[in-house]
Amino acid sequence: MNSSVLNKFCDFIAKHYGDRPGKMLVHTGVIGWIMSSAAQIAAIIFNDKIPKEQKMFMIPQEFGDAFVNILAFYLVTNTFKNVGQKLVASGKWLPKDVKNFLVNNKLAKGLGEKGFDVLKKLTGAGTKVPAQLLKSYEDFGSGVDIATTFAGSILSCNLITPVLRNLYASHRQKTQMAKINNTSNNVSIKYNQPHLTDFQSGINRSYLKI
Amino acid sequence: MIVDAITKKIPSWTVSNPKLLKSIKWMGQHISSPENRLILGVTALMSQPFIDLYNKNVDEETRKVSAARTVAKIIAGTSTGVFIRWACIKAIDAFTKPMAKGVARTWKNLLLPTKSLETLSHYKNAMGTIISLAVMVCTNFLIDAPLTKYLTNKFVDKIHKKDASKMKEVSDE
Repeated sequence: MNSSVLNKFCDFIAKHYGDRPGKMLVHTGVIGWIMSSAAQIAAIIFNDKIPKEQKMFMIPQEFGDAFVNILAFYLVTNTFKNVGQKLVASGKWLPKDVKNFLVNNKLAKGLGEKGFDVLKKLTGAGTKVPAQLLKSYEDFGSGVDIATTFAGSILSCNLITPVLRNLYASHRQKTQMAKINNTSNNVSIKYNQPHLTDFQSGINRSYLKI
Repeated sequence: MIVDAITKKIPSWTVSNPKLLKSIKWMGQHISSPENRLILGVTALMSQPFIDLYNKNVDEETRKVSAARTVAKIIAGTSTGVFIRWACIKAIDAFTKPMAKGVARTWKNLLLPTKSLETLSHYKNAMGTIISLAVMVCTNFLIDAPLTKYLTNKFVDKIHKKDASKMKEVSDE
């Protein structure tokens, strides 16, 4: 691989995910779900032991699962992650040492409100923040990022998605079964209709029975 | 807007408990995609099969097969997902050795970014996870899907045997 392309790729990863573990989990989670869903759909289609009627439920279930899973995962997990990030960035959730520093250095005005930026206050001109305190804040932020992303992914994947996909798939199954029943009724009427030759030859008398 | 509205509702929290603070910081440093995948799999086993078993919109047989397949899918997906992510993140270590300034790149620092980062751990986790996705393009079809099929069939056979013995008991009575 061309080294400049590789360097660009590595720099892209470092820039976008180098200090944002939650964002990485969300994006790679979405890609992972897309790929595993494609494989699972293939597994159902090629599994001879699952009867056709059940495949009719399970294939749309898997499609519904994939669509709802991916959408719910992204929306719910991303929201949880963003809420966690905002809580830390605005100072609503802080470790005690960081909060004390802000209060003692008269930097806490508006702490916890929309628009307040803890990192800007800590690294602002004239602020001599100990490196350890900055690390404490960043480590805390990463931890909250991970915890909120986990919470969002568990909620979306294990509760929201299964309920929604079952509703979608069972609706699809009913629709498919209704179509099949309609088709088989039309076929039986066609073959039971008597013809002139039947009267002449007297071969088929079943419809003449009283 | 939704994020702002939710953030506004959540109360302020100053974390003073040293153990809790240590745990939160530890999570940020050491927990990544393999652990996330494992926790997702374990919690999935505690909820998803039951949601399928109590789905009143389908017949009982479909419920059982669907629940069996869900369990199979969770076991197959979690075991391969965790292992591949862990292995790829470990492998990234070999290609992200620190390099001295002015020294040419070798294969040992092939995947280091050109700009230095304060900590490499998040970068390594991200790169390892992304490479594991590329690996999983193959393993999803070669391992996940066949393993899911194998486990599903095993569970379905067990369910049918159990049902058959129950029917036999009822008819004997």
